[in-house]
Amino acid sequence: MEKAADFHYNAEQNYDEETIIQQREIEKEIAGCQDLVGPKEDFTTLDREFEHDVAFLKKIQDVKQRYRRFRRIRADGNCFFRAFGFAYFESLLKNPDEFKRFQDIALKSKDELITLGFPQFTLEDFHETFMQELNKIETNKSIEGVLQTFNDCGTSDYIVVYLRLIVSGFLQKNEDFYQSFLDGGRTMREFCNQEVEPMGRESDHIHIIALSQATGICVQVDYMDRGDGNLISHVFPEDSSPSIYLLYKPGHYDILYKE
Amino acid sequence: MSTPARRRLMRDFKKLQEDPPQGISGAPSDNNIMFWNAVIFGPQDTPFEDGTFKLSIEFTEEYPNRPPQVKFVSKMFHPNVYADGSICLDILQNRWSPTYDVSAVLTSIQSLLHDPNPNSPANNEAAILYRENRREYEKKVQLIVSESWEDDNDDDDQAQKPETSSK
Repeated sequence: MEKAADFHYNAEQNYDEETIIQQREIEKEIAGCQDLVGPKEDFTTLDREFEHDVAFLKKIQDVKQRYRRFRRIRADGNCFFRAFGFAYFESLLKNPDEFKRFQDIALKSKDELITLGFPQFTLEDFHETFMQELNKIETNKSIEGVLQTFNDCGTSDYIVVYLRLIVSGFLQKNEDFYQSFLDGGRTMREFCNQEVEPMGRESDHIHIIALSQATGICVQVDYMDRGDGNLISHVFPEDSSPSIYLLYKPGHYDILYKE
Repeated sequence: MSTPARRRLMRDFKKLQEDPPQGISGAPSDNNIMFWNAVIFGPQDTPFEDGTFKLSIEFTEEYPNRPPQVKFVSKMFHPNVYADGSICLDILQNRWSPTYDVSAVLTSIQSLLHDPNPNSPANNEAAILYRENRREYEKKVQLIVSESWEDDNDDDDQAQKPETSSK
């Protein structure tokens, strides 16, 4: 690398490629030391992570009071979608009625998205893989199977993409209502193009609301932020009973378990 | 070995063969589904008309979740194409959507040819001429259109490569 002082910007040189290569290297480094979906663990490593950070100590105590264990998700910008997908698939292992309900929604989602204007050819590809992996829950009924699905990079990312497309579709269908959440004068189509559909784009409140609304899956997020006071929880959609629990640390989501 | 990327690329290829967009062709290279050669014909009623521009497309196992790397192999003169042939196009970088396929990528590049974005120039000379001296711009483009045919000859007749005027 050139030293900063020797660096002269050349407008006709392609820096995009260098930037992308650098990003990929950082990603590889993270991938090397973290599973896409980690094993269930107690909170020892969480304690260690924040032992010198007074702002988080009280919140960690709150987490430990409410939950028994957690599962780490790889920090790659897709953590919300991957955590949501895994935790929900896992919860379906013990809930055949809910499985039937969601299987029906997932089946119908394909035609809905095509009606909304998503390209049929590529949409079918993602939908097919999504359904194939979902249906494995009924046949295999094993947590090992779900872990294998979500730790196989290609398959795991296909599921993340399909969840992203469901969010994009839902937001565009309900544009009138959700438009007011957007800043910077972007249209909903632009927002979805830039912040929802591309892999690695981090999720915000609006993604969570949309995914829980579109799928009818209730999720509780416990926010471990730097704010004063107790651990704050939000349930999406409000006033329902959560089937999955996520832990938010600034910029990242992991999965929480009561048992 | 079948991976989601390879399976998808086979499907992309099948679709491109069965339902090719106008002025576009592409196929995997001989024994590597991850590396494609493509041709875009210059769109009608543009300075690029009649050009046959070759491109290379390189995929990773992360396709279609990450964009492929697309480059012009033929010489190009265009505000958004770098000297090395790589293309400055948002959907190939930060606005990539996994719902795009090879056909969508090539169609977008085809429309970039007649609809440059002078706000993100990769070739300053082309960007300035496009804005300030359209006639000169079109002349330069016509030169690379003629050169694109010479590329074809190279291929048909690689053993006795004719002298090209380009270098």
